[in-house]
Amino acid sequence: MATIVNIKEEKALVVKDFEFTYASADTPSIKKLDMPVAKNSITALIGPSGCGKTTLLRSFNRMHDLYPGNRYDGKILFKEKNILGPKIDLINLRIQIGMIFQKPTAFPMSIFDNVAYGMKLQGIKNKTELYDRVEKALRDAAIWKEVKDRLKHDANGLSGGQQQRLCIARAIAVEPEVLLFDEPTSALDPISTAGIEELIIELRERVSIVIVTHNMQQAARVSDYTGFMYLGELIELGRTEELFVTPKEKLTEEYITGKFG
Amino acid sequence: MNAILDKLFLNTTKFIAIAVLLIVAWIFSTLIEHSMVSLEAFGFSFVTESKWAPNLEKFGALPAIYGSVVSTFLAMLLAIPIAIGIAIFLSELAPPKLKSLVGVSIELLAAIPSVIYGMWGLFYFVPIIRDIFGGIGISMLTAGIVLSIMILPFMAAVTRDAMNTTPDILKESAYALGGTRWDIIKDIVIPYAKAGIIGSFILALGRAIGETMAVTFVMGNVHKISLDLTAPATSIPVTLANEFTEADTDLYYSSLFELSLILLIISFTIISVAKFYFLRRKRSF
Repeated sequence: MATIVNIKEEKALVVKDFEFTYASADTPSIKKLDMPVAKNSITALIGPSGCGKTTLLRSFNRMHDLYPGNRYDGKILFKEKNILGPKIDLINLRIQIGMIFQKPTAFPMSIFDNVAYGMKLQGIKNKTELYDRVEKALRDAAIWKEVKDRLKHDANGLSGGQQQRLCIARAIAVEPEVLLFDEPTSALDPISTAGIEELIIELRERVSIVIVTHNMQQAARVSDYTGFMYLGELIELGRTEELFVTPKEKLTEEYITGKFG
Repeated sequence: MNAILDKLFLNTTKFIAIAVLLIVAWIFSTLIEHSMVSLEAFGFSFVTESKWAPNLEKFGALPAIYGSVVSTFLAMLLAIPIAIGIAIFLSELAPPKLKSLVGVSIELLAAIPSVIYGMWGLFYFVPIIRDIFGGIGISMLTAGIVLSIMILPFMAAVTRDAMNTTPDILKESAYALGGTRWDIIKDIVIPYAKAGIIGSFILALGRAIGETMAVTFVMGNVHKISLDLTAPATSIPVTLANEFTEADTDLYYSSLFELSLILLIISFTIISVAKFYFLRRKRSF
């Protein structure tokens, strides 16, 4: 079975005996998976395409529920509650577990409205509160200086890297406890990528982060823990520096040394 | 040899493509040529004069223009909210099976020849309008309703297509912030697809304003501007369909051609606005 390092920190998420089956598939895409996610740290998920890392990530905020017929089995515990249970309020869950996608997804509205959107969904109408929180989120996402004079402009006028930071600002504006990053820099140039990585590391103090990446160097640069997945299973989860230097599993070693993938 | 064939192929297709432009120009010039007698006789007053009296050789296009505009406006007013509702249901809410079933039915409805809408309107809607609103039932209102039913499937289908262009990842981002389906529809899908939706409405408007057979049965061909929607009226295509066979003088004949020229210009303008302003390709995700 999988080699899973003992995590000393509190746990933000605990995956137990988890299986996921897509509507169109006969066999599960994720099989009997157990995995802890440490609080206020960064956990990277790596593995070859189709290994199930994005599928697992999208289970944490029940994104699969948007498409009918997908099935979850097992448990994912968040604050001691199973988020796969039938009584879970998905809207509330998604406010607490935010997500950043592969491509920047600026909404068709102004920069200000993009960042304020999550708060508006929660019914916050007070103008000064909205403004203060938008400003804070944009500062925290290190984009305030670039956009402060054009908050009313269409967000689609920003560059890709700026848009991705805007999306991060939008996600942290609602003060989530967990942030999921799904290959957040795959559509960005190296300089924007470096900026986003720096930002992710800073965010660790306030949120627990899970990041899916196809880029092993990125996992090594930003994460505290790294999980290696293969064919729908978690093969190894370890402290990042240990996993990359002294992997316990043969498959992990073969993957990180480039023998397959 | 291959190079020659290639060139031949290129030139043949080029010729066919240019032929389309020539046909459009040809139609335009024919209409202008046949309109000359009327253009010279009435000048600009043709479009401002509301008297249409063939026996007195007096021809004013205003009632027909008014009828075209008002019946189309009524049709749009009735069809737009329903089309948006259908499109929202089909693109965002319906389960996949229902989506394709209703989607296909709507496309089938759009394939019904307009003369059938006209006959159906005459035998079905005219008595209903007569019973509810009085009058003879053949009226501007009836024409508006029949037109709205006729353009509805097209509008719903194109609006749905426009909404379907909203990238999933954009919708997912809004769901990921805790949005409900309704939030996503009103804040993401409709704003994103806005240009396409408006464009499809304008294309539908273009169809409605030139529609002939669906309204000829139910409008009445009465050249009189009346604010009473239950009174019979006429539109440009209705006048053309009813009166060409009766045009016994050069001026009458030419006036009808000038009417068709006006219709062509209106249609061209509408389609151009829709194509060049609203239906430009958007950047893709």
